[in-house]
Amino acid sequence: MTMNGGYSDNTPTATPAVVPAKQNVAASKTVDTQSVLKRLQSELMSLMMNGDPGISAFPEEDNIFSWKGTIHGSKDTVFEGTEYKLSLTFPADYPFKPPKDKWSSAYDVSTILLSIQSLLGEPNTTSPLNTQAAALWSNQEEYRKMVEKLYNKPSTT
Amino acid sequence: MSSLNSSSSTMGNKPTNCLDSHQQQLEDDDEETISDSFICCVCLDLLYKPIVLECGHVSCFWCVHKSMDAIHESHCPICRHPYHYFPTICEMLHFLLLKMYPLAYKRREEQILEEEKANGCFSPQLDSKEFYSSDGSRPSAVSDLASLSGIASAGKHSSKMDSNGSSASKENDLSAVNINRTYERVSSNDVLCPSCKLLLFRPAVLNCGHVYCEACIVIPEDGIIICKVCEYPHPSDRPNVCLDFNNFLEERFRKEYAAQRESVEQKQERFHHKNPSSCSGSKKSAKKVCCRPTRHGEESKPTENEHKPKVHAGAGCDYCGMYPIVGDRYQCQDCVEVMGFDLCGDCYNTRSKRPGRFNQQHTSDHRFELVKPRALPSNVMLRIVGGYLVDNSGAPVLAISAMEDPPDGWIAVESLEARQNLFNNVADLDGNPGDIMHDNGDSPDGSVEIEFSDAVEVSGHHDDDNVDQYGGEDPPF
Repeated sequence: MTMNGGYSDNTPTATPAVVPAKQNVAASKTVDTQSVLKRLQSELMSLMMNGDPGISAFPEEDNIFSWKGTIHGSKDTVFEGTEYKLSLTFPADYPFKPPKDKWSSAYDVSTILLSIQSLLGEPNTTSPLNTQAAALWSNQEEYRKMVEKLYNKPSTT
Repeated sequence: MSSLNSSSSTMGNKPTNCLDSHQQQLEDDDEETISDSFICCVCLDLLYKPIVLECGHVSCFWCVHKSMDAIHESHCPICRHPYHYFPTICEMLHFLLLKMYPLAYKRREEQILEEEKANGCFSPQLDSKEFYSSDGSRPSAVSDLASLSGIASAGKHSSKMDSNGSSASKENDLSAVNINRTYERVSSNDVLCPSCKLLLFRPAVLNCGHVYCEACIVIPEDGIIICKVCEYPHPSDRPNVCLDFNNFLEERFRKEYAAQRESVEQKQERFHHKNPSSCSGSKKSAKKVCCRPTRHGEESKPTENEHKPKVHAGAGCDYCGMYPIVGDRYQCQDCVEVMGFDLCGDCYNTRSKRPGRFNQQHTSDHRFELVKPRALPSNVMLRIVGGYLVDNSGAPVLAISAMEDPPDGWIAVESLEARQNLFNNVADLDGNPGDIMHDNGDSPDGSVEIEFSDAVEVSGHHDDDNVDQYGGEDPPF
C-alpha cells in the first residue's frame, strides 16, 4: 500500500509521472476536502443544536475553513460579563494531522473554546507570558479593575 | 395540457426527492439511535469498517489511515499512543454495527464508496462468511446488507405503532428504547471469544483484527503474541481493552457479563494464590522482548557500523501493516491499483498469504521488485504549499521546518538522528526540538513558499473551488 499512490511510481524521472499524478491530485483532494467539510459541518451542527451557552462559533461568510468564535467570561471569575472574539482557521487536513503535540482528533471547536474559557478563569501563573498580569492575579479585586479598565467590548458586526 | 403536466412533474420531482432522502435519513437516525460508543471521534459519524488500535481506541478505516504519519511512527488520533503497524479492520465490530444499524451503516457504506471511487483507493471488502476472499474476487456484502435492511424495515413498522401508542413519551426515553432495541439485534453468539468460546470479557483486539478477552491473550515465552484464529503474529505489545466495545457488552449482556466477571475474578484469585508475583513480572519482561524478531535493533540504540535502515515514506506493508516500511521494501509489479501492493522484507521472505490492507487483487504469481527508498527531490514532484511540503498526490510529506535545506531534507530522514526519532521519540509525547516530524509552530520559510506559489499562479490551473486554500495544481515543472 502506498499513501495516495504518491510514491508508488517507480520511474526515476519525474516526467512520466506528471500525467497520472495530476488525476490523482484532483481526486484525492476532493476526497480529503469532503471528509474535512463533513467533519466541520457536523461540528457546526452540534454547536448550534446543543452548544454551551458560554461559547459560540460560526463560519465566516462562505468559508467553512475559517470561523469566528466567541467566549464569554465565566461566572464568578474576574472575566464575568466580558466577551472575547477569536478567529479559528482550520488546515485542509483537519482533524487528521496534529497541529501540535498532544493534539487529539477528539478535540473539536467546542472543547477548544471551553478550554480557553476555563483557562481564563484558572491561569497557570507559574509560567506566565505576561508577568505583570501573573503577579496581579493573586489580588482578584485589582485584577477585575484592570479587566474593566482594559476591556473593549467587541463590535457585534 | 400534456406538456404542462410533464413540466410540472419535473419541476416538482427534484425537490421532493431531496426531501425524501433527507426525510429518510432523519427516519433512519430516529429508528437507529446510535450509541455514543459507536460514533467515530474523528469523523463524528457512525464508525465504518472500524479499526481498533493497540491503545484500545476505535476509529474508521479511513480515519485511521488518514491520521497516519507517512514518515514516522503514527499516533492514535484520540490518545496519541504511538504505533507503527496499520491494523486490520475489526471484523467482529464491523458485523456488529451492520446488524445493529443496518440503515445508517448502509448510508455510510454508500458515502464512503463514493469517496473511494473519487480517490481510486478502496478499503477491503468484508464478507460475512470469511473476512476476505482468498481468490481476490469481490464478495458481495450487498446482498447481506439488503437482507438486513429488509429486517430493519420490517422492524420499523412495528416501531411506528409503538410510538403511536406512546407518542407522549419523552425524547430521551425514546432514544433509550431505540438504543435497547438496536442492541437486541445482537446475540451473544456474535461476540464470543475465539479462545474461551464464552462471551467476550474485557475485549482486546490484535493487529489482525481478531478480538479476544483480555485474559485469553497469552504472551508466550518468546514474547510474540500469535493470533489463534489466523496464526499471524501480533507485532507489538499486549493490546489494551477496547473500552467502547466493553461498555457495549456490559450493557447488552448484563447477566452473562456479570457471570463472566465473577469467573474471571475467581480464576485470578486462584492464580494469585499460586503465583503471587508472576503477573506483573511477566508483563514487564514481555514488554522488553515483545516485538517481532525481525525488528531487532530498532528498539535499542542503532550502532554506527550497522547499515542505515531505509524508511520508505508513505509505503506500508500489505501483510503486517508496517507503515512506513523500514528496511527492505518489495513492490508488486503486477498490481494495478492506485495504492499499489508492497511488502516489508520479513513478510516477503515468509511468503505469507494474507490479504492486502486495501482491496488489491494481488495473487501469489505476481512479481515483486526490491525498491530503494526514494530520494525525494529528484524523482517526486514536490510543492510547498501553506507550510507543508506536499507530494504529487496532495498529501503532506514533511513539515517545512524540516526542509531548511531541501535537497538534504529528505536524506535527514535516513540519518541517525531521524532514526532515533523514529523509534525513540515514541514515549516522548512532549516532542523534542530535533524532531523533524513536528512543525514546532515556527512560521514557514517565506521565500520558498513565495517561489512555489508564484509557479502555481503562472500555471493558471486555479479551477479548484475557493474553499481549498491549499489548492493549486502541480507547478509546471
